[in-house]
Amino acid sequence: MTPRERVRNTIRFRKVDVIPWYESFYVDTVVRWLSEGLPAHRIVETEWRLRHSRTFLNWPEFKGFNLYDFFGTINLRGLIVPVDGGPIPRFKHRKIGETERYQEYLMESGAIARKLKGEHSWYSMPQFVDFPVKDMESWEKYKERLNPDDPRRYPLDWDKEAYLNLFEEYQEGSTMLYITGFYGFGAELMGIPQFNLAFYKDPELIHDMASYWEYFNIERLRDAVEALKDRIDIVFWWEDLATRHGPNISPRLYREFLLPHYRRVIGFLNKNKIDRVMMDSDGNLYPILDLIVEAGITGLWPLEVNAGMDVRLVREKYGEKLFLAGNLDKRKVAEGGEAMRSEVDSKVSFMKESGGYIAGLDHVVPLDMSYRRFIEYAEYLKPMLATGP
Amino acid sequence: MMELLGRIAGALADLNSEELSRLIQEALEGGIPPTRILEDGLRRGLEEVGRRFEAGEYFLSELLYGADLMSESMKTLASRFNFEGSGGRGVIVLGTVRGDIHDIGKNIFKMFAEGCGFKVYDLGVDVDPERFIEAVSEENPDVLGLSALLTTVLPEVELVVKKLEEAGLRDKVKILLGGNAVTEEFGRRIGVDGVAADAVQGVGLCREWTAGGRA
Repeated sequence: MTPRERVRNTIRFRKVDVIPWYESFYVDTVVRWLSEGLPAHRIVETEWRLRHSRTFLNWPEFKGFNLYDFFGTINLRGLIVPVDGGPIPRFKHRKIGETERYQEYLMESGAIARKLKGEHSWYSMPQFVDFPVKDMESWEKYKERLNPDDPRRYPLDWDKEAYLNLFEEYQEGSTMLYITGFYGFGAELMGIPQFNLAFYKDPELIHDMASYWEYFNIERLRDAVEALKDRIDIVFWWEDLATRHGPNISPRLYREFLLPHYRRVIGFLNKNKIDRVMMDSDGNLYPILDLIVEAGITGLWPLEVNAGMDVRLVREKYGEKLFLAGNLDKRKVAEGGEAMRSEVDSKVSFMKESGGYIAGLDHVVPLDMSYRRFIEYAEYLKPMLATGP
Repeated sequence: MMELLGRIAGALADLNSEELSRLIQEALEGGIPPTRILEDGLRRGLEEVGRRFEAGEYFLSELLYGADLMSESMKTLASRFNFEGSGGRGVIVLGTVRGDIHDIGKNIFKMFAEGCGFKVYDLGVDVDPERFIEAVSEENPDVLGLSALLTTVLPEVELVVKKLEEAGLRDKVKILLGGNAVTEEFGRRIGVDGVAADAVQGVGLCREWTAGGRA
């Protein structure tokens, strides 16, 4: 089976020869591992690009790190439907302040964020200092940048036939459509505390934002979704809406403000044969899992152990309504030895029987995971994933 | 009087802002001292919000809105009576440790702790261990709250505890840990007094420690 076939079968609870294994990595983690023995020449990826200003020849340019082939994980986020979901025009990303320890940036979303100097990536999240949406007036202004029909949302070379073929032929991972869920959308535009407060202090604003979010996503995606239809394997639905304590919004608020819009957006996808929607959220989701399923979400990642999530419990309660990915405790894996083995044994053997499972850590591989421990984990996990006799 | 104060507590606990404003007005017009409105009405109401949060009946939006109603109500009392009304429960020095610039959880804790009557000195994020020691020495707090979201900064948390010991201040203050990176196990290992999974639990521990006066 190809990696793509494995993913497509897994998320539909069909048989596979090998359970897919997915991990994602912070740039800072990779940088650390390079100094601990990860061979740079095996993971560096180049892209052959035409240098317009100097020559008509294509030249290899550094593109990034490819750890999928090196470790043998799948590239779950392999091909992405190329429709821009951000503000257009973007705010101009620029440094607006600097001290001995920090740099402050205006982000392309319009938020202002501070980061520690020397970080190569937003390790976890930056400290947000300001947000672009504060009230109805600033939201109305912001909407002007969220025109779903702006032609710049699609690539200059948007050629449906070519993309159809590209998505059909791709076998190294899965094809994906990105959607930011409404909670993620609002929290990124207003900041978590202000957004959460607005459900009570300014419900009209939240209703308006949610309605517009629905309209914006359906309309911006319509052309691509109708063209690529059954070539899209998974919708990656990002919205970190929970902490260890539980969801940030109550089941009542979810039902009133989110659910109707989620059903319509997911209904639009379903009508176009796109029926696998994987939600990305940290935290304890148990109190709203029924609603998540009712909304049409069909998969969960990464199932954070520290927040009490457990693939086995979710599977027992929801069966084949949810395919599951992740949930191997990164802290136990970083500890190595028996702690790692017992974590992998207890969950992978159960999920192997149960099906509908993509193995992996319960979030992006953290900076405090040593290269040695990750290799130890990889070597232990991989043989367990084969399903044959 | 107690019946009216009980209704104020109930209105805040039920997040009924209109009813809350009306009842505070009624209490003030009836001559109830603002300190009683604060202590026996509003604080009891906010504590009930915290209880419902811990019980899983309320979530972050409700917790924030409860603290916001408290803060707005205190402004009303302050505007009428030149009345500060905060800090009687105890003193907390708070900050996110060096190398970590996350502040959402810390700020929610601060809001709730202030609403519950604590005076909070917020040192901000990415705080050097020396700055924590300095603040403990200067403000003589009941509680030192250390926040850490990233597991990579756990050694920093340990370092602050060690430096407090070296400065001879460890026995003078309770140490509370919060944030996604900390666990009970870690807290026990480095010898802190409490680890909180969320703001309400954290403030609950602070209240316990200061119940009989200074911790």
